[in-house]
Amino acid sequence: MKKKNIIGVLASIFLLMGVTLTHAYEAGEVPNVGTIHGQVIFSGTPQAPVQFAVEKNPEICGQERSLLKVETHNGFLVGAVVVLENVRKGKPFPTQAFRGNLPGEGEFRYEGGNSLGLRVKTKGCNFGPFTGVIAADEAVRFQNQDTIKHVLHSFVSKDTKGRILRTVHNQDLSPRDEIDRVFPSDKMKDGVVVRIICNRHDFMQNWLYVVDNPYFAISDQEGRFRIDEIPPGTYTLLVRHPVLGEQRQEVTIEARGDLQVGFQFVNE
Amino acid sequence: MKTRGIRYLLFGLLMGSYGLVCFLPPAEGAVLDGLMGGVEESLGKRAEKKGERLIIGNFYQAERPDSHAPIGVMQDHTHNKGEFMFTYRYMYMYMDKMRNGTDNLSINDVLSPSRENFAVTPKNMTTQMHMFSAMYGLNDTVTLMAMLPYVMKEMEHQNRAGANFTTHSSGFGDTKLAALWRLYAFETPSIGAHRFHLNTGVSLPTGDINPTDNTPLGNNSLLPYPMRLGSGTVDLLPGLTYTGVRNDVSWGFQALGTVRIGYNKQGYKEGNRYQVNTWGAYRWAKWISTSARLNWQQWYNIKREDGQLQTTVGPAQIPLVPTAYPKLQGGQRLDLMGGVNVLFPEFMGLENHLNVEAGAPIYQYLDGPQLRQAWSFWVGWQIVM
Repeated sequence: MKKKNIIGVLASIFLLMGVTLTHAYEAGEVPNVGTIHGQVIFSGTPQAPVQFAVEKNPEICGQERSLLKVETHNGFLVGAVVVLENVRKGKPFPTQAFRGNLPGEGEFRYEGGNSLGLRVKTKGCNFGPFTGVIAADEAVRFQNQDTIKHVLHSFVSKDTKGRILRTVHNQDLSPRDEIDRVFPSDKMKDGVVVRIICNRHDFMQNWLYVVDNPYFAISDQEGRFRIDEIPPGTYTLLVRHPVLGEQRQEVTIEARGDLQVGFQFVNE
Repeated sequence: MKTRGIRYLLFGLLMGSYGLVCFLPPAEGAVLDGLMGGVEESLGKRAEKKGERLIIGNFYQAERPDSHAPIGVMQDHTHNKGEFMFTYRYMYMYMDKMRNGTDNLSINDVLSPSRENFAVTPKNMTTQMHMFSAMYGLNDTVTLMAMLPYVMKEMEHQNRAGANFTTHSSGFGDTKLAALWRLYAFETPSIGAHRFHLNTGVSLPTGDINPTDNTPLGNNSLLPYPMRLGSGTVDLLPGLTYTGVRNDVSWGFQALGTVRIGYNKQGYKEGNRYQVNTWGAYRWAKWISTSARLNWQQWYNIKREDGQLQTTVGPAQIPLVPTAYPKLQGGQRLDLMGGVNVLFPEFMGLENHLNVEAGAPIYQYLDGPQLRQAWSFWVGWQIVM
């Protein structure tokens, strides 16, 4: 009986390891890759930025700050996060950096390689752009380049808009300090988005969508996005925005194909 | 042999609990996170209907004057990982008049052979405490606390001949070590924030239980129980704390116990003590709030006795003084306290709180004759870094 139990436990462990391995993304050469590109259209009345009177550290943060939660340009949506789901093998994670809106010089930098390698450079009371991406189970480096303290508070949510937010980390980010924080998958569970805020400066708010592969893009000033080097196959393409929600499409990438898709969000 | 066994067991428990706190893998949330799915779904739906977000597990107290309880309440909040808080508290307590049950007694009542028949009676007592404490957010689950008080006591007496004399004792009191465990927290803008944490701690017997002073009985006489600076025993300090805040109003509830383990080297143990605090505060401005607090305390009589303490005097074996009798130490009391909290958010680059509180009992029942409490005053300075 005991022997059977041991075999059962070992079998379960191997099974779990197998499940884990099959879910891990693997960087490697894939032939005949294709591309998706498109635009995210916004229709309706653009939202006005939320205005904040700066109470703490105006000498660093400025006297007034605003937060534009839905950024549009000529009818296109800026900062929508486009994610291709369930790609298990393909290109390495790219190296890229995205600046936050002025004032402030916050930046999300993705080191790339075998992992996403997110670095959050906080400067001028700005973590970085309003939206970005994050990966579970790898360290995110938070660098405070300000000479004041920030209190980094991160939450995870199971839905795109973050209706129920669960605290993941809540801790001081001392002046000129940097800390590494892992967002463990057991804590993230089926969370799709991480919200980060500063408890001392309420205009510092950002949304990071969870990705497990490098096939993501963030719509630019013209609402455009492009994801390349995609292995041929059928996938779910998601577009997510913290205020406008989520849209999805089934897409099929042909060998060496170039697929154009479009999304439209309506602000009622 | 049995006593030694209990000591080893206690030492093991103490070390074990600290090992548990210090060497567990870093915890990343409240103890009950993930176990309240039904509650969260229900609250989440209600919040969504109002266009709000439900936030789980946020124990952060925004920098507001009432983010800390009135200064007389301890272990009322937890800290973020890596955050330190240093506190200095000063307490002054004045006790006057003797009481038995809810009846006040005159000096004659205590000394008269036809009444309580003691040779000496306390007239009044002052207790001052300088308390130095530190809290540290070990991780997102546990906040550690250590507190060392310096205690100064003074008691004035009168004997049957009408002569007055005063005794003094001073020195460090018992050291308190505690771990505060975040249990659960939820908030939405319309229902406010609600936070629960568990208090666990021990009191270590660093306070002197053999204080002496010159009395009419002689020089360096052993002073009775109320003049002692510690319990002489390892005490457990279990408790539960709830705090809430919505807009400019905050409130809290805390139940704390002091459970004595074993007997001290003088052969007695103080009675267990239980207290319940409930308070409410209103924030008038970003930097100032005022509070009202009710504090219920119940403490029990001493078990066994200090064999070295003289309890009678003269050939007639007249009872010496009520403070020397183990069965005259228990009681219950309800205090009403009013306080002011002031926040200096950037003083010396750090978050500072200056808190003051004062009040008096509105009910007290004493297993007397025993000195009743007249009033108490607290002031404290807290620095969060």
